[in-house]
Amino acid sequence: MSDDVRRYLDGDLEIDALPAEARAQARAWDRILEAFRSDDQARSAPHWLEDRVMAEIEALPEPGPVSKAWAWLLRPQPVRLSPALVGLAAALVALLILRPGGEAPPPMGDGPEAAVVYVQFRLDAPGAQSVAVGGDFDAWRASHALEDPDGDGVWTGRVPVGPGLHTYMFLVDGFQWVTDPQASHYSDDGFGNRNALLAVADPET
Amino acid sequence: MQRSVQRTDAQVVRDVLDGDRDAFRLLVRRYGDVLHHHALRMVGNQDVAADMVQQAFVHGFRKLGSCRNPDQVGGWLFRILANQCRDHLRGSRRREVPLQALPELPSRGTDPSDDAAEAEVRRRLRAALEQLTPEQKEAFVMKHLEGLSYDEIAAVMNLSVAALKMRVHRAREALRGLLEEFG
Repeated sequence: MSDDVRRYLDGDLEIDALPAEARAQARAWDRILEAFRSDDQARSAPHWLEDRVMAEIEALPEPGPVSKAWAWLLRPQPVRLSPALVGLAAALVALLILRPGGEAPPPMGDGPEAAVVYVQFRLDAPGAQSVAVGGDFDAWRASHALEDPDGDGVWTGRVPVGPGLHTYMFLVDGFQWVTDPQASHYSDDGFGNRNALLAVADPET
Repeated sequence: MQRSVQRTDAQVVRDVLDGDRDAFRLLVRRYGDVLHHHALRMVGNQDVAADMVQQAFVHGFRKLGSCRNPDQVGGWLFRILANQCRDHLRGSRRREVPLQALPELPSRGTDPSDDAAEAEVRRRLRAALEQLTPEQKEAFVMKHLEGLSYDEIAAVMNLSVAALKMRVHRAREALRGLLEEFG
């Protein structure tokens, strides 16, 4: 296939701009593609699909009180905490030392913005096309991609996380959430899955 | 007062996250057909396609809080489904599909004069598509059957446009070879 025909099929060239020979090839391709389109199997979703989806969703367990408490505590919006609750959270942080992948590199910088710790995350995911980590520290956007430069299926990455108690999971191939099997502590996410827990101590204390 | 049925996707997402599970039904209505079209084109079986769409919606519901752009939740759901379809094909592939062994899919139902020759052509087209890799098939379907732009497909497949164009090109070349092989 000539570059001209390829550009035509990609929509980058009009057929009138093609030389005569390429134009004949382009028309032959048009016929092939039209044959595929005329055989298109697409049909609307069956009428029962909506009810079936909603039935499965309704059957999911309601978040339990612990999960609701977690969701409230970890909500990204600013919240006011009572001194007693702050003390409780601080005690939890002090009690739980969780280091995904067994390593929590030292913080970088020493200004007020530097009150984060670069945490080393690691997931063994051979066959994955992409792995990212997401948690309450990035509003579950999974915005921190891990890397597997040597292709051995071990994905790693250093992610800045502020002090406190956090929940996180790995997002594999952009859609599959995977619990960190190496975490020491977990919390239910309310839907039958487990979030890994991560405690990050304030580097300045 | 009756609540507006014209809630934006972002409003619907917010309502669901606030505990109104039934609001998710609006997303199923809005995107069910689009997702089902894609699933059916990819897996070629109506029951399997419906299962894939259901899984995609339920998965989307469970992880709705991680949807980065709630006003583009349709594209996010589509990406979930596309990944599931790709994985499904990867798992069911690696076996040669003899031309005669392909299931007879339902006809389009619009042409009563659909004769044996036309059925044979359809069979060959489907057999050729089945021989593509899942990634090639996905790229070809999105580009030439669903009419998506390269930018849109690249976003779904997490590829550069240049890499995507190469994948579509290879899919077309493979199809041409297969159709010639099938005679």
